[in-house]
Amino acid sequence: MKLRNRLSGPEKITIPMVPMINVAFLLLIFFILNLKIVSPEGNFNINLPLDAPSASAAEQNLPDIKVGMVSDRDGNLMRLTLGSKNLGNDDLAFERLNKEILQIIGRPGNPLTKDIEVEIDADYETQYKYVVKAISKCTGQLDPGSNQVARYVEKIKFAPPHKPKA
Amino acid sequence: MKMRKIETGFIEPDMTPVIDIVFQLLMFFMIAINFENTKADERVRLPKDTLAKPPVVKTEHELVLDFGYQQHPSGDRRKSFPEVFYNERFVDVRDISPDLEQEKRVIERVHGPNVIKDVTVLIRADSKIPTGLVQELIRKCQEAGFSKFSLRVTSEEV
Repeated sequence: MKLRNRLSGPEKITIPMVPMINVAFLLLIFFILNLKIVSPEGNFNINLPLDAPSASAAEQNLPDIKVGMVSDRDGNLMRLTLGSKNLGNDDLAFERLNKEILQIIGRPGNPLTKDIEVEIDADYETQYKYVVKAISKCTGQLDPGSNQVARYVEKIKFAPPHKPKA
Repeated sequence: MKMRKIETGFIEPDMTPVIDIVFQLLMFFMIAINFENTKADERVRLPKDTLAKPPVVKTEHELVLDFGYQQHPSGDRRKSFPEVFYNERFVDVRDISPDLEQEKRVIERVHGPNVIKDVTVLIRADSKIPTGLVQELIRKCQEAGFSKFSLRVTSEEV
């Protein structure tokens, strides 16, 4: 019987690395080609009751918040209103809207805000981006320090659509 | 004169640092990739907003409607009015009802008869579309039986 020479030590086992490197490179190329640098998307939920509208704000003793948007024929914003108050038509108008909403609700996260509803009443031509901006300003305010959102009003609904300008 | 002996043996480079970097890159791309967003239709230029954050919990049933303008590669519009990009077709919002009805039938056949009230319609509308047309699209969806709506916007960093 042939005995193994123990003095020579264990045999060195070499793992073939080439197939693993090949697969790693293939995966790398796959992920590089599939990567798309796109901004993430977020949602604004809107409340649009069908046939059974919710109880009106007056019935629940809640303030009735109506945001109006008047535009020209090209959809550019001409006037942003809160109730009968004209807030202007520039970027500051939306900031004013944000402050007015905060005044109405008292403080962010007020339990009352779960029931308060904001109605967006925009002209037919108003560009959609203005409506989204108004919804955003009614929904809350982003604290730049903590990056946390202070929630204002959670329920947003649309008024019945207007007819297009002739 | 003493001549230097030239070595002709096989030189094996050390591949370990290369493999390390390849794996680091692989990890980076695996984490950075987002298959969910690659499905989004890039022809629609969504409005941007800082407050809109990606939803933490994915809705169980959703119907995504892309609503935008057909455009030339140069960026000019092919048509003056927006259309719904539905199954590789361009549908006028006034003619979308049959497609929504069909969508409803398919959803009910797959997920059950009363599931339609739990389906969220995600509206991805172009930032310059007249609001009246977005409302028209929502109304058509309501007529088809959908009742939950979400307006999708691009999250903007502060």
